[in-house]
Amino acid sequence: MATAARNFDFRKLQAGNRRKSGELLFGMGIIVGAVVWALMTYFGKGGIAIVPVAIGVALISVWGSYWASDKIVLTMTGAKLLDENKNRQLYDLVSEVCVAAGLPLPKIAIVEDDAPNAFATGRDPEHAVIAFTTGILRLMDREELQGVAAHEMSHVANRDTLVSAIAATTAGALAILTDFLMRIMIFGGGERRDDRDNQNPIALIGSIVVLILAPIAAMLLRLAISRKREALADLTAVQFTRNPAGLRRALEALQADTTVVQQRSTSVAHIWIESPLDNSATSKLFSTHPPLSERIATLKAMEGLS
Amino acid sequence: MNIVVLVLLVLVVLALLAVMSRNRLVRLNISVDEAFAQIEVQLKRRSDLIPNLVETVKGYTNHEASTLEAVVAARAKATAATSVADVAAADGSVTQALRGLLAVTENYPDLKASANFLALQEELSTTENKVSFARQFYNDNVRSLNQAIKTFPSSLFVNSAKVSARPFYEVEDPQDRKAPTVKF
Repeated sequence: MATAARNFDFRKLQAGNRRKSGELLFGMGIIVGAVVWALMTYFGKGGIAIVPVAIGVALISVWGSYWASDKIVLTMTGAKLLDENKNRQLYDLVSEVCVAAGLPLPKIAIVEDDAPNAFATGRDPEHAVIAFTTGILRLMDREELQGVAAHEMSHVANRDTLVSAIAATTAGALAILTDFLMRIMIFGGGERRDDRDNQNPIALIGSIVVLILAPIAAMLLRLAISRKREALADLTAVQFTRNPAGLRRALEALQADTTVVQQRSTSVAHIWIESPLDNSATSKLFSTHPPLSERIATLKAMEGLS
Repeated sequence: MNIVVLVLLVLVVLALLAVMSRNRLVRLNISVDEAFAQIEVQLKRRSDLIPNLVETVKGYTNHEASTLEAVVAARAKATAATSVADVAAADGSVTQALRGLLAVTENYPDLKASANFLALQEELSTTENKVSFARQFYNDNVRSLNQAIKTFPSSLFVNSAKVSARPFYEVEDPQDRKAPTVKF
């Protein structure tokens, strides 16, 4: 299984991807900086006090769902833990991938759903859950399922629940901050006017532009991070199985399949291997996953087929 | 005064870097040990499957005694091995003997249809996969350790961390040499 391909450059691709998702997270930091600057320009130094409040509120709202992500997602998707004697093969192939990844065996769950899909979550490898729909178990052979299991274990290995929790916290804090500031700008703040009399008008206009654009930019960055982490999970899956063909065939099967997961809640959309939301209507910029065709092309390049 | 503070600061940063690279070497060395232990766990599991497999095959076949003996002999030799090279060599011969046995079973449709054999086959193939993933994980860890030993700045702390380059786990497998070359 591992002999055919020894030299593909998944390590280089992984390093590049990690750097890019780091840069994107840094970009979110810059947006926070810009908003703080806008705040200070508009309200003077006193405005700073609201920053920790916004970050605190965002942390509280995201942290709980990060910490208990395994339990929450199992409840939300209605996934049932796997009986290892009933589905020996699935249990076996997940434990194979765990040996390849050097990770403990996660909880394995099954979602009753005809659409082929899978997801992983959990705050750390010790609390990881990976789930498969009954549809994907019917559709795919052992090798393809192994590719899917490797992709999901890659999310566990790369700590993607943490990465997306950080992105969500930052985006949430920015949303709270800018919302709050816009309200004050529109409805109040009359008595503060003296502070700003000697302010540069260009800086004032700039700060308003920042406040309008920041939440949108943060949302786009959050989606870009999600797409990068999906692409990284494909690469890490190849590192685990050294078999790009398995995952590639699995993605092709997903592409050919038209059934869509019944639960279309956007709040859990990002965790599935294939986006359960309708991709055709939205542009690439607004989706949580890179297009399947792009992911398949990358894997094909690693197989030496392109 | 400022210069003294600056020098102190640089020294502190350098000391931190030194501690980190030394710890990294120690950590990598431990990962290699753990990865090798994982190979042994999986080999043991495979070894435990063999008696059951041999019994099942015996029940359905008549004149395959030599193939069965080859498996049993390879298994016996494997239990004695300890060093990486010996374990790898013994592992290779068990893999090969098992492959020979599975090839022979192709001639016995009754055996292949039996529920016991089907369950054994799934267990054998998953164990074989785990063995090969454990080898791969070990070799990846050896690769990281050996790279850290050779590259600056961790190369400076090889002696103080008491680590040395470790051998790769290489299985002699005639089928590997026959594998078609892959173009990139």
